[in-house]
Amino acid sequence: MSGGAHPRFEVVIGLEVHTQLRTESKLFSPAPVSYGRPPNHSVHPICLALPGVLPALNARAVELAIRTALATHCKVHTRSVFARKNYFYPDLPKGYQISQYEEPIATGGWIEVAGLDGADAPVRRVGLTRIHMEEDAGKSIHDAALIGSDVTHIDLNRAGIPLLEIVSEPDLRSPSEAAAYLRTLRQILRYIDVSDADMEKGHFRCDANVSLRRPGATALGTRTELKNLNSFRHVEMALEAEIERQAEVLERGGRVQQATMAFDPATRRTRVLRLKENADDYRYFPDPDLIPLLLSEQQVERVRASLPELAEQKCARFQREHGLSPYDAQQLTGSRPLADFFEKTAAAHGNPKAVANWMLRDLRETLAALELEIEATRITPQVLAALMTLVDSGATTARSARELLPVLVRQGGDPAALMRERGLEAVSDAGVIEAAVAAVIAENAENAERYRNGEEKVLNFLMGQVMRRTGGKASPASVRELLARKLAGKSS
Amino acid sequence: MARITRDEVAKVAALARLSLGDETAERMASELDQILEYVQTLSQVDTTDVEPTAHAIPLPTPLREDRAFPPLDPELAVANAPEREGSAFVVPKVIEGDEEG
Amino acid sequence: MSAVFETLSELSHKLASGEVSAVELATAALARAEATQSTLHAFAGLRPDRARAEAAQADARRRRGEPRSPFDGIPIAIKDNMVQTGEPTTCASRILEGFVSPYTATAVARLEQAGAVVIGRTNMDEFAMGSSTEHSRSGPTRNPWRLANTPGGSSGGSAAAVAAGIVPAALGSDTGGSIRQPASFCGVVGIKPTYGRVSRWGLVAFASSLDQIGVFTRSARDAAGLLELISGHDPFDSTSIPEPAPELRPALDGDVTGLVVGLPKEYFLPAGVDPGVLAAVRDAMAELERAGAKVREISLPHTRYAIATYYLIATAEASSNLARYDGVRYGRRASGARNLTEMYERTRSEGFGEEVKRRILLGTYVLSAGYYDAYYRKAQQVRTLLRGDFERAFGACDVIVTPTSPEVAFELGAKTSDPLAMYLSDIYTVSANLAGIPGVSIPCGMLRGLPVGLQLLGPALGEAVLLRVADAFERRTSHQARRPEGLP
Repeated sequence: MSGGAHPRFEVVIGLEVHTQLRTESKLFSPAPVSYGRPPNHSVHPICLALPGVLPALNARAVELAIRTALATHCKVHTRSVFARKNYFYPDLPKGYQISQYEEPIATGGWIEVAGLDGADAPVRRVGLTRIHMEEDAGKSIHDAALIGSDVTHIDLNRAGIPLLEIVSEPDLRSPSEAAAYLRTLRQILRYIDVSDADMEKGHFRCDANVSLRRPGATALGTRTELKNLNSFRHVEMALEAEIERQAEVLERGGRVQQATMAFDPATRRTRVLRLKENADDYRYFPDPDLIPLLLSEQQVERVRASLPELAEQKCARFQREHGLSPYDAQQLTGSRPLADFFEKTAAAHGNPKAVANWMLRDLRETLAALELEIEATRITPQVLAALMTLVDSGATTARSARELLPVLVRQGGDPAALMRERGLEAVSDAGVIEAAVAAVIAENAENAERYRNGEEKVLNFLMGQVMRRTGGKASPASVRELLARKLAGKSS
Repeated sequence: MARITRDEVAKVAALARLSLGDETAERMASELDQILEYVQTLSQVDTTDVEPTAHAIPLPTPLREDRAFPPLDPELAVANAPEREGSAFVVPKVIEGDEEG
Repeated sequence: MSAVFETLSELSHKLASGEVSAVELATAALARAEATQSTLHAFAGLRPDRARAEAAQADARRRRGEPRSPFDGIPIAIKDNMVQTGEPTTCASRILEGFVSPYTATAVARLEQAGAVVIGRTNMDEFAMGSSTEHSRSGPTRNPWRLANTPGGSSGGSAAAVAAGIVPAALGSDTGGSIRQPASFCGVVGIKPTYGRVSRWGLVAFASSLDQIGVFTRSARDAAGLLELISGHDPFDSTSIPEPAPELRPALDGDVTGLVVGLPKEYFLPAGVDPGVLAAVRDAMAELERAGAKVREISLPHTRYAIATYYLIATAEASSNLARYDGVRYGRRASGARNLTEMYERTRSEGFGEEVKRRILLGTYVLSAGYYDAYYRKAQQVRTLLRGDFERAFGACDVIVTPTSPEVAFELGAKTSDPLAMYLSDIYTVSANLAGIPGVSIPCGMLRGLPVGLQLLGPALGEAVLLRVADAFERRTSHQARRPEGLP
């Protein structure tokens, strides 16, 4: 059972993700998409819903929507319709949001999520109900300065930014499955350059619907909606809290009420924001200011042809072509820049598995320590391949090479030159190694004896000592060979 | 039989953020009732298999190139605001959960 | 104050020859507007200083031999629902008090680019909802032919301004007849083009799928010239037809021999129409026949459903289009509200007049859960059938002729307490908006001292044939030469 599943109830979770699309201008207005600007510094009369303005659909937003639909195996509808969702709120300048309702741009896809049924289980498909386009609302500013006051400030910079709403089928069965789904979806969106999908920056928002039912039941229980979740961790925690709450209600013999819930990370509890006794009446109707979006098969095929190889395809190919394990392949296809880096390095070096080891161990540690993503570093695939070759040829030791890594990552450079600069050439002078080996054996008589008595593992310890003595620059192979000989040769 | 009651008028008014005095609500209810009575004639029309009009003059979908224009001068953006603070619009406090419908 | 009863073409010649200057024209127009304001109340506001400055620039251009167009320096009026940079636009509503636009409507910008001088904004029914220009927060406009009567609506101010000789032309908007009916009541030419011909960018929306900007003029040729100027694709309006402005004036050669004129029998039923109107229209048809046209009876079988269809669609779209008037970003905000909901309700209740509120309520109801299919969707289906009626009809004729209105200008106050009666007076005009086809009203006679209008309807993009027939009719008659008397 995956994390957060309930022992006595079946948990049913569906997720609605809103992701901001990477466009220069807004969905229906030529105002620039920008972040961090002062209030209302990035608006156009259309964003302000001034009398007489009209919407004009952004071509690139449509392309990105099609791309997303194709990457998630959805059916792209050649006819979709923009509809008005009518309600009053100060961050909604027109008094309606332009969205899609009965005829969205895409329906019926899926994404493959790994690890839902256990680390070694095959990937599982999570269905997508639909994908549609809509515009973002502005922001109500709840500044610290405004707390306790009786006013709110409204900033419409965000109003009109293009969003894609991606709705999953209620196929998820636990909070950790939900988090895995979100991570996979985010990866896909980044892979296809549709969105930066950064949850902290608000590019990627998630609402969760959750209900419980008795195991074996087919009807869905009453669900509640969790909103304003700011991170994957919050999504998991909020779901856990809500599942617990609903279970308590049901076990008491009560009924779960349909409601919109908020999650408080401090108390780790959910609370009712709004009861949904009456479904909100948004009075959807097709927007008469916009022509139905008609796409030709050619348009869709052009987008399909421009799709980069997706993570799941790359992962399979890495296993097939480069002989990587499923786990390694998955790790290395985590992002496109990482995958590209791997392939280029493997091509330059010639041994993909060795490259995989280096990247998943040493390079990954270095990047983590420096808090960098691969694309932000100065190291290139050619440089990494060259570094690895230096080790292969014995010019330097693996340990020395590891020392060079942070420098190369931060500053770039030529590994051979750097190696010479820092005096990290491998020590191959037999005399130096012999002296070190002799000294170590002399200082570790007890251990040497243990080795001679059959404890082969002690050799590693002794080797370590020799390596330390030579500053890690002796070739491990030479050291091992010499040590073994000397130990065998010496009589106690 | 009245097609639209005073209560329904009140509900619709709330949806439209209009507040009507009792007298007005009463009068509107009867006027709307008359109008709705009149439009009932449409139910006589056989519209089986008839597509609703999306647009009177069918057109290809116009698409706008994704190019950002310089934004409106923020001064102009809020110049008409009944109440503002700096370049932000000011409204009576929004209560969480107040939104939608 | 001498009225400007010359046509655009005549004035254009006078400007070109130097007989009159743009400043003189603007000054005269402004003076006449002010002089008639208390009687006619055609204007919501004037822009005298800017108009005179723009006229002076037009004169300077002419002196340099660089007029922007034949219309450079012509004074013109626009309806108070079209925005212009730096100018107030109120749509005759309290809720837009104080609103000054930072941008200009495309149609108005094209006039400006041609050098036309906007002298002010004309009075109208609030948010274009009405047929009499009585639903205006600044009071009604009166009919120049009889001050106790309405000029029609909602573009009554623009119609009156042209009829009274204040300006030679004015822009109006037509959603269910709001240009054609006032043109008919005021004895001037009023044309609503094909839906999508003229950009709606900057026209304050009433019903998006029905609204169109059009023109009031004293002659069909003037209407053709102005339409050429303001039509044409606009990327800012997604519903605008992807064609450049049409060439219309070359079509006005006065020849209608062989043209087939259709008379829809449903529009000529005696019940509900003033017999004098029918008689005037029949006389007009006889004139066209004498000119060589053939008259043929046709049928538009779904006519009797047009008003119901119109009012369901128009109010539904309006209820949504008017949601933005909430006191947050512009316009009037009610004072003293204790919370957001109260602010919205008081702002909108105090800001909108009764007719607007009535239509918002109806429209909201029609879209609400449970009623959408029976009302809104049904109406859009019947609309398809109405469009089909016209498509078939235009297979059998070139233009359709009808009365513009079942009556001549009614008295102020005659219909204000009976909304449904007011709606029913649109019976002949709403179908053109529903079908998206162009329509023009031209004066064709007088009845008891008030003008009668003849409506011509054409197929989509058929403004040329409409104006050709209108122009041919004008050449053979003299209705457009009549002028109201007794004005200041």
